[in-house]
Amino acid sequence: MSPTFERPITEQQKEIAQRLPAGENLLLDYLHKLERHRRGRRAVLARLSSLQAVNRREHHIRIASSTFEPMVKQLKGQVFTLSNCDLIFVFKEIALHEVESVIVKLRFMFNEDPALTDEGVGNRPSFFDWFLLERDYDSLLHLAQRMASDEEQRRSQEQMNSNKPIAHRRPVRRGEALTTEMLAKLEDALASADLANMLRRQAVCAIVGNTPPQPVFNELFISIADLRETLLPKVNLASSPWLFQQLTETLDRRILSLLNKHDDRTVDGDISINLNVQTLLAPEFLVFDDNIKASMRGTMVLELQKVDIFADLGAFLFARDFAHDRGYRICIDGVNMESLPFVDRVRLGIDLVKIVWDSAMMDGTLPNGETIETYVDRCGPSRSILCRCDAQDAVDFGQSMGITLFQGRHVENMLAAATAAKRGILSRRR
Amino acid sequence: MNIPVPGGDGPEIVTQESLLLGAAERISRIRDGRVAVHIHLSRLRPQNRQDGHVRIALRMLEPIVNAYRGQMFLLGTSDIVFMMKDPYVTDVENMIYKLRALFSKDPLTFQDGGDGQDKFCTWYELGESGDYEEFLQVARAATAAARKRVREKDAAPAERRSIDSKILGEVLTRLATMDVSKLIRRQAAMVIAKETQAVVLFQEFFVAMAELQRVLAPDINLMGNRWLFQHLSQTLDLRVLGALTGMKLRAQPNVYSLNLNISAVGDRAFEQFETHVKGQAGISVEMQILDILGDSRGFYATRQTLRDRGHMVTIDGLNELTMQFLDITQFDADLYKVTWSPDMTEGEHALTMSKAVATIGGDKILLARCDSEAAIGWGLNRGIKRFQGRYIDTMLAAFTMQSCDKASACTLAQCTNRHAVIAGPLRSECGNNDMLDSSPVMRAPRARSQ
Repeated sequence: MSPTFERPITEQQKEIAQRLPAGENLLLDYLHKLERHRRGRRAVLARLSSLQAVNRREHHIRIASSTFEPMVKQLKGQVFTLSNCDLIFVFKEIALHEVESVIVKLRFMFNEDPALTDEGVGNRPSFFDWFLLERDYDSLLHLAQRMASDEEQRRSQEQMNSNKPIAHRRPVRRGEALTTEMLAKLEDALASADLANMLRRQAVCAIVGNTPPQPVFNELFISIADLRETLLPKVNLASSPWLFQQLTETLDRRILSLLNKHDDRTVDGDISINLNVQTLLAPEFLVFDDNIKASMRGTMVLELQKVDIFADLGAFLFARDFAHDRGYRICIDGVNMESLPFVDRVRLGIDLVKIVWDSAMMDGTLPNGETIETYVDRCGPSRSILCRCDAQDAVDFGQSMGITLFQGRHVENMLAAATAAKRGILSRRR
Repeated sequence: MNIPVPGGDGPEIVTQESLLLGAAERISRIRDGRVAVHIHLSRLRPQNRQDGHVRIALRMLEPIVNAYRGQMFLLGTSDIVFMMKDPYVTDVENMIYKLRALFSKDPLTFQDGGDGQDKFCTWYELGESGDYEEFLQVARAATAAARKRVREKDAAPAERRSIDSKILGEVLTRLATMDVSKLIRRQAAMVIAKETQAVVLFQEFFVAMAELQRVLAPDINLMGNRWLFQHLSQTLDLRVLGALTGMKLRAQPNVYSLNLNISAVGDRAFEQFETHVKGQAGISVEMQILDILGDSRGFYATRQTLRDRGHMVTIDGLNELTMQFLDITQFDADLYKVTWSPDMTEGEHALTMSKAVATIGGDKILLARCDSEAAIGWGLNRGIKRFQGRYIDTMLAAFTMQSCDKASACTLAQCTNRHAVIAGPLRSECGNNDMLDSSPVMRAPRARSQ
């Protein structure tokens, strides 16, 4: 997920994106199964939702949830991540000490946050809640039911919203608009900020039939969501698209210099980075080109934004031929279903097209009346990537259109599940 | 430190050119097996020889020059000269072939001068019976030219700084209170109605960028950052719409053509302008590909809205490249505005244009920036009937002067310039504003067979 193709993100879309798939339902399911096995089981609820936004970013949640992983692998318990970021760990009593030490770790992780420093002050609930299933089963079940139904409601609301006709689905403008003053401040901050901890990677995977996803390459990007929460919590970045474009260009340059500086293994393996045409012709790209091994270039993908390509076709064609000569592959990024008709991959001489998933695609046709299937067929099934897949229906739909490459949070989850399953088998064998 | 003598030759200026000359002179005694190649990047179109292009060209050549213990020089003109010893010629030729391919969209690489000379690069055999003297002459001339350039550059004003987000904020503040009506320019487009008649199709109203630059921020290059300029143009649109709504002309044009961002069409300023001209003139909105790709969803909605209200949708700023790499028909517009370029008459571009005109239909194409009779002739021969540009401006002024009773007091250039403005001294100097605002029927230009 590149910063730029998060561009039309609305508050609502962000919510969808941040929601991990139906943790509530999984929890509810699990609790039902435990109905006859309450004895000797406990649960702990960690209210990560009460943390400040800066401490509640995606990676915080991921790290927090992963502290329970070793016990999950030893089959001592199950961890559930809820859509509001809260974690629930249901475990066997024998693991109580281990759980307590994990709780200590979590307290340490967030010890600066008011949710923990002011714990129990006034009406503030405690950060952790403990349940003894033998005694508290019903209240826990109740809690899970309530959360599941809240979640259900939210989903149907989203469904309704996404079924509205195209004209009504213009991005909702919420929050303050991004102004030139803010952009200037942001750019100043970025010049000195250490962005290394905001560098993310997300896999583009081949998914064929029901087989687990196979990573093809990893996209490196700076998480705009993190950046925004750190630097401009109340600003709606989509409100000024061209200023936002300028910001992403600054970020893309920063990634390049980050990669040039870090001599670690960040750029090892098959990766893609976001660039703009001008940067591709800039000295910092030539340094990057020098640094990476010539043998790796066949699997290096450069992602260019559609607006950047069409802003100056002459410059793009030059940059494209140079990049191809050096063995890079070129991917056009951020193509939504509305702009798809304008992007003719073969004509443009581009290797890959990233199509942004949109549930409105399920209606079947593009604005020019053509079907997505026809488009994919002409573009080449192995040349089309469906990105921002945040639920299974995106993958199902993509597969039905002949797409085999996918990216997005759901794909990450599938990948994680497949890896965990594999590890499980291995550890059981041992 | 040497103090330069006024008017004297001054200290020797070290340039890449003088280094090249030095290197060329040093090898004078052992020249066997040496060759030099001069790559004429300076002959490329300016947009194809910017820093990035030149940097990449150097990068492409580097390995081969190093492999044959060569030296490479980047001249101030963007030309590249390199010398090598005993190179494997096929290797070098292959590399130059690759380099040439990078510039394949520039006429330098596809144009045939007819004299059998390669305009892209020149080889020099520096050995005994070779072209050493000739090469030395080239190096000397380059050195002299560079020295002259350096001196002139010292005298020339510093280059304008590119706009950044901080300055953009200040510029927007200034723009908010400025009277933009003096910056608005007008240009008529013409359509050949029958064999012999040319009528005004519409009058386009737009902002003179050079003027805007001068008034808003003379020391800043407003166009130096594409995205920030796009942001600026969104505000500019609204200001222009406001000024046009308050504008008083003697006669309304039959159609107003306006360059607008998609965001402007959804604004109240556009509605107010609509109300202002309702029942008196039509409206055509010219949109840019960049804006459409940035907000395609908005484009479809806007296109529909404009049509529902009886307006025309025009795609602006097309050229031989966009015609080749985009399926233009996907825009489903009423008119496609293609910028004329002499490059269209040759090679790959000529083929592209013929195909595009055949697909879209001559009736939906307007050839813009026609500055010569050749442009009009080229269009007419391909079935294009709509034209705009300096050539048309002059035609219109000449026609006006023929029938204007005040014409004896003016020159053709004055009349042309006065047509282009809607306010200010230039307009008030004209004794016949009625004629300035009129849309006459003229005799159509005719195509000479090509």
